[in-house]
Amino acid sequence: MESRDAVTDGEIVRGVLAGDVELYAVLVERYRDRFARYAVRMLGSHDAAEDALQDALVRAFDRLADCREPDKFAGWLFLILRNRCFAEQRRHQREGRLSEDAAEAVAAPERSDGAVERHEQARELELALGQLTAEQREAFVLKHVAGMPYEEIAQLTGATVASLKMRMHRAYDRLRELMKEYR
Amino acid sequence: MMKTFDLRVKQLLDGDLSLADLPPELRAEGEEALRLIAAVDRAPVTLTPALDTRVMTAVRQHAKSPARRAWRWLAAPREVELRLRVRPWAVWGGALAAAAALALLLSRPPAPAPSAFHNVAFVRFVLYAPGASRVAVAGTFNQWDQAAAPLVPAGTAGVWTTTLALPVGQHQYAFVVDGRRWIADPAAPAVDDGFGRRNSVVAVTTQGARTL
Repeated sequence: MESRDAVTDGEIVRGVLAGDVELYAVLVERYRDRFARYAVRMLGSHDAAEDALQDALVRAFDRLADCREPDKFAGWLFLILRNRCFAEQRRHQREGRLSEDAAEAVAAPERSDGAVERHEQARELELALGQLTAEQREAFVLKHVAGMPYEEIAQLTGATVASLKMRMHRAYDRLRELMKEYR
Repeated sequence: MMKTFDLRVKQLLDGDLSLADLPPELRAEGEEALRLIAAVDRAPVTLTPALDTRVMTAVRQHAKSPARRAWRWLAAPREVELRLRVRPWAVWGGALAAAAALALLLSRPPAPAPSAFHNVAFVRFVLYAPGASRVAVAGTFNQWDQAAAPLVPAGTAGVWTTTLALPVGQHQYAFVVDGRRWIADPAAPAVDDGFGRRNSVVAVTTQGARTL
């Protein structure tokens, strides 16, 4: 019997388009956790991240016929999720709402002084990330949270390596300034 | 005034330099920068399993929508088998009738060639892509198939062209250069496809094609 993991994204997309709707569950299972960390760190909240992922997955299904390269479904889905996260973050910034849930998105500390201090730093950094532009925050998340090299980020986002580095360097300076303000 | 990191410290954060590569006067700043990055929460994130259920519930509902089903029915390719049971005299009779009709048609004075058929018009696609080794046009009229409509080099260097018969209606399309680069037609208006890329738009009427 063929394993579900052995089926390529392209085969699944073509199967769903041919009418086998239940096959889409394989793509949901395959990508929900892979993109979860990106969404949580971009939006600073588990709830907002879940909403964004759900919205992106349903939207991708609705527009599956527009997926020009079914074998590159992951990159296409990422772009949908990315647009959703950017829109959400801009809406928050326009409304002057900081990510009040940022602390919630940071893993809870263990019971030791060092751990509590690390947790506090992580919470401050999460708040500071909420002050960056969506593009700066994305570059930071993909580079330092997901651990991706610039070349891979460039491929994923369509930006050049040079512009990504410029974006990131501005983010470093802004984060330094914000972290000082919090202390 | 905002105090910025030295460029070499930024390169340290990018992973292009190590702390030992920094001059002594920048070490403290480098350590401060590394502490900032060390605070990043890289813990794995797990979302609730209910997410899958919610997505699939929505997907099933959307799949049942009449508009989507109708479109799938119209768009799905089908195999059609045609079986004929005929007698030899009927074949010969049919062939003679067809030959007579053809002779009658040829004997009539020629009518001016129409520029467009009833529901189809010819649209010429042109792209200037110097250095490209192959160019194709993909769009809603060929299910975004990159292989369906290749362009051929025109007389002028770098110019690629093809002419397609498109049904009446509005079509979105893009050029595919060397099989990987999607670009909108610079000579036509473009719309956002909702995912950050641009599709060109052409409206085909029985009078011909026009860009919107």
